[in-house]
Amino acid sequence: MIRLTVNGQSHDVEVPTYRTLLDCLRYDLGLTGSKEGCSVGVCGACTVLLDGKMISSCIALAVFADGREVTTVEGLAEDERLHPVQQAFMDAGGFQCGICTPGQVVAAKALLDAIPNPSDTEIREWMLGNLCRCTGYYKIVESIRAAAQPSRA
Amino acid sequence: MAHRIVGQPIGRLDGAEKVSGAALYSADVTLPGLVWGKALRSPLPHARILRLDTSRARALPGVLAVLTARDLPDILVGRRMFDMPLLARDRVRFIGERVAVVAALDPDLAEEALALIEVEYEDLPAVFDPIEALEPGAPLVHENPGAYEGAPPERPHANVQSVLRFKLGDVEAGFREADHIFEHTFRTQLAHHGYLEPHAGVVAIDEDDRVQVWASNKMPFRLKELLSHALALPPARIRVNLTPIGGDFGGKGSLMDLPLAYHLARVTRRPVKMVMSYTEELMAGNPRHPSVITLRTGVTNDGGLVARHVTALFNSGAYAAFKPAPSVNLGGSSMGAGVYRIPHLLIEGFCVYTNNIPCGHARSPGEPQMVFAEESHMDMIAKALSLDPAEFRRRNLLRDGDVLPNGHHLEHVRAKETLEAALKASEWSKPKPPWIGRGVAMTHRHIGVGFTNAHVRLETKGTVTLTIGLPDTGTGAHMVLRQVVAEVLGLSIEEVQIELATTDTFETDSGVGGSRVTHTGGRAAYHAAEKLKEQIQAEAAKLGTPDASFATIAQAAAREGRTLEASHFYDAKAHGAVTSFTAQVAEVAVDPTTGQVTVRRFTTAHDVGTIINPIGHQGQIEGGLIQGLGFALMEELKTDEGRISTLSLGDFKLPTIRDIPPLTTVILEDPVGPGPFRAKAIGEGSISAVAPAIANAVADACGIRILDLPITAEKVYFALKAREQRS
Amino acid sequence: MNAFDYRAPRTLDEALASLQEYGDDARVIAGGTALVTMMRQRLVQPRCVVSLRDVEGLGRIEARNGAVRLGALVTHREAETSPLLQERLPVLAETFRRVGTIRIRNMATVGGALAHADPNQDPPVTLIALDASVEIQRAGGRRELPIAAFFRDYYEPALEPGELVTAVTVPLLPPASGASFIKFLPRTADDYATVAVAVTVTLEPDGKRCREARIALGSVATTPLRGRAAEALLAGARLDESLVKSVGEAAKGEVDPLDDHRGSAAYKREMSAVMVGRALTQAWARARGAAREAE
Repeated sequence: MIRLTVNGQSHDVEVPTYRTLLDCLRYDLGLTGSKEGCSVGVCGACTVLLDGKMISSCIALAVFADGREVTTVEGLAEDERLHPVQQAFMDAGGFQCGICTPGQVVAAKALLDAIPNPSDTEIREWMLGNLCRCTGYYKIVESIRAAAQPSRA
Repeated sequence: MAHRIVGQPIGRLDGAEKVSGAALYSADVTLPGLVWGKALRSPLPHARILRLDTSRARALPGVLAVLTARDLPDILVGRRMFDMPLLARDRVRFIGERVAVVAALDPDLAEEALALIEVEYEDLPAVFDPIEALEPGAPLVHENPGAYEGAPPERPHANVQSVLRFKLGDVEAGFREADHIFEHTFRTQLAHHGYLEPHAGVVAIDEDDRVQVWASNKMPFRLKELLSHALALPPARIRVNLTPIGGDFGGKGSLMDLPLAYHLARVTRRPVKMVMSYTEELMAGNPRHPSVITLRTGVTNDGGLVARHVTALFNSGAYAAFKPAPSVNLGGSSMGAGVYRIPHLLIEGFCVYTNNIPCGHARSPGEPQMVFAEESHMDMIAKALSLDPAEFRRRNLLRDGDVLPNGHHLEHVRAKETLEAALKASEWSKPKPPWIGRGVAMTHRHIGVGFTNAHVRLETKGTVTLTIGLPDTGTGAHMVLRQVVAEVLGLSIEEVQIELATTDTFETDSGVGGSRVTHTGGRAAYHAAEKLKEQIQAEAAKLGTPDASFATIAQAAAREGRTLEASHFYDAKAHGAVTSFTAQVAEVAVDPTTGQVTVRRFTTAHDVGTIINPIGHQGQIEGGLIQGLGFALMEELKTDEGRISTLSLGDFKLPTIRDIPPLTTVILEDPVGPGPFRAKAIGEGSISAVAPAIANAVADACGIRILDLPITAEKVYFALKAREQRS
Repeated sequence: MNAFDYRAPRTLDEALASLQEYGDDARVIAGGTALVTMMRQRLVQPRCVVSLRDVEGLGRIEARNGAVRLGALVTHREAETSPLLQERLPVLAETFRRVGTIRIRNMATVGGALAHADPNQDPPVTLIALDASVEIQRAGGRRELPIAAFFRDYYEPALEPGELVTAVTVPLLPPASGASFIKFLPRTADDYATVAVAVTVTLEPDGKRCREARIALGSVATTPLRGRAAEALLAGARLDESLVKSVGEAAKGEVDPLDDHRGSAAYKREMSAVMVGRALTQAWARARGAAREAE
């Protein structure tokens, strides 16, 4: 039995030891926003925040998150209002098929929390581990720029 | 001509579900009692199955079913040619072929069960190289492929799946007219599409004994037909429910694991979910065909193309089942003629059986392979003739009235304008320091044809609902369709909503792909909206209030028990007379001490029709281009004797956000397309010329000509070294 | 993954006791990026996983007797962003920064990376050039091992059953020193190195001759290694282009690479020479700068 706080809500979940954090979120808690892509921690589709830090939930054991705080894409919006990063991705075409998008917006939120006004170099360095196959990344950079400084877009 | 909504850079209003994680893709679908299916795959490229013992797997607690070929009807599946068993019956033909399948309470238990299945194999002689596969006496992958349903008749060798030819004039006569003849051979690599959502599907048999399917498949109506065939069930028993798809790029049109999920559902009487791991995708996910392409071209002294003979061998792997074209071949071979007028032409494309991973369609099927070869070949000829590569192309570009190798006559040809635009924007003639190079390459891409049903309904609140059976693969097509309907009806974009059909809603739809959706989906939506507009105007006239709001009109009709709605089935029968040209220039730096190639900047020029959504349009250009970059520089499924060693994204590398070059896009918009408001297509226009533009730039930078993809630092380094040692 | 027992000890002694109890059937997990990936691929199937997550006292970065000591549970990201490390051993902070992506670095630990002993990793290369030593503990004992002796073979660290890496101690460089780490990855920005090189150079006080140099290479053998023959050419020497070239060639002779997805053995050999040359030139320039500052 583990206790996870996910998006501010506490959950007691019975999980086998071999359950990954990603599978726990998706199947035990029904939070299917985080996705399984490469299963080796490379593509970033499974990105969540663990105590505020970006991790690959597909290669983290659920038990590792026992007693800790997890933030998933479902936790970004506040009271029905999208987080500025989410809105920026919609406005600027920062997503297409959307499968990498939960990971992208979680990572981008963590970036803007750490660096409120990142340079393009800082954006690219931070987002290196979030692959996208549809957009070619140009509009992801634009979206994050716009979210950081709405007037800069 | 300016429109009100069409042409506006409207963001992805349909994106709230995606950015919030609420959108349910196939792997997210869950049903009460759902169990997990997993497939056991062959470790050998060609072998007889001597013994298959599933008893230990069956005994594992939490395992509900284990099936082998013996438990299934002897039906072969495919998309056009039906040569693949659901589970290997007594013989496996590639590493990764499915041998057994299990259903268990969770995916880890399913994997555990697979490890308990015992299989004894006896090796059979295997063949991996397409040239060797065509030699007399080569091991046969299939003894009698001509007997398979859907097999094309021509078969010069039992290891040939299909042959596709394009012919103009008399190529031998043409060569006799030439002053010089050049011949070069190129190779391209095995490469997966790289979509980040592995194939996933859920199959459930409901209380009415209907088969409910949720699948990452971009042509749900065709899927229904194929399932009907594979499961030997009448089509009416099957319903495909559309889900958003996490990237397709040509790779998600086959049955994949769905028939197996059905049989597990049938036997366990539970809904079954099967999700491929990324390793399974890289091992068995119908990737892009590798190629060996030889071009032989005859030119006159002043650089006029007179004759060309192209032979392409596509290493198609163990089954033809994944190719959807009636030819069971790759139409992209027609790009062997490039964007040029060549009076005498013969292109022969062979899809060859080998004991490798079966390949399928990938973005612009056959074109990135053929265009790499063809546009590199053009530069090599230009060099031999001491002609500027741009000038050599200029002298031979297609013009209005010319015929393409596939018989299409062209109008509104802007090849020259597109080339000039790319050259200008890239500063083609600007002097460069040593080890910096520029390369140009061109291609063209048709507007696809197909058929789509669309239905529009006026709601009592005055909005319009568009029902469409085209799944969302990410391209932004649904926004395009909404804009089309909004434009016709004079509504705002928010007043038009999409309702996704199921395969119960409409008779048919050719689905997503082939650069056809803006055309066929757009025209279906356009004409349905036009019909609705007429009805609305008629109602308003009846009411005597021509300026009545849509809501008023709808409510008036509702009071009489009527709904204003209209349908249209659009079937684009033949390719029109237009195509879309692309010209690209790569500027690269080569590091002489390591061979590393860096793309300093990239220019892409596109001859397009009316742009309906500029943001989505540009997104397609950028996405395709970076896929082309990956294909040129880093993507490679390394394979040796049928064994793929790059089995994760840690080894099969896709471009990252730090790999993208500064990009300049030039758009030449000309409202001459067959799509709504004279739109053309854009989804597959930017990928094919990237690799040759880069290869040509590398040759310009350092004189090294790389003939096989990907262009790696190592290849350039050793080529530079070899040249140094020769001098 | 297979089913396994999970232990989450709160003290090092508890952890070591669990390891002794389970012997070969147990695997230690720190950040888990390597272990969980291997378990998901069924490459390892331990009966017990002992997590160090809650073990106190292994997560510190501290200055100590002319060295920096990194506890085994310090994450790559903590090392990369540590003001202490950035100030005292910037080449090491920079090396940690080059590993994978931020997500990996948020989880992967210093100790875990060493115990994994993957010859394609980056930090061991710089740690070898800095002549670090590894602190190892087991139930009832501890020992220190110079890092160059820590890597036995491909994925085989010099750890006996029941032993844990508990810290790495990295001596500071003497005055008039410079260091450089180069990760050569020509394919894409997120990859293992084709070749990785770390060089430290300490000059005589006059800033002209080399007093001591250390060269380490990674991704070029079944373990990271010291290029001692290459180093020997630098003792007492003044740097010029031909020496840089000779040192590179000597390093090339010491490596024993295998073909892998980042390059053929032949290419890795060539790039060993090139990258040693580049790292040496950069380290030497930094040493000259340090020598001038000290004047």
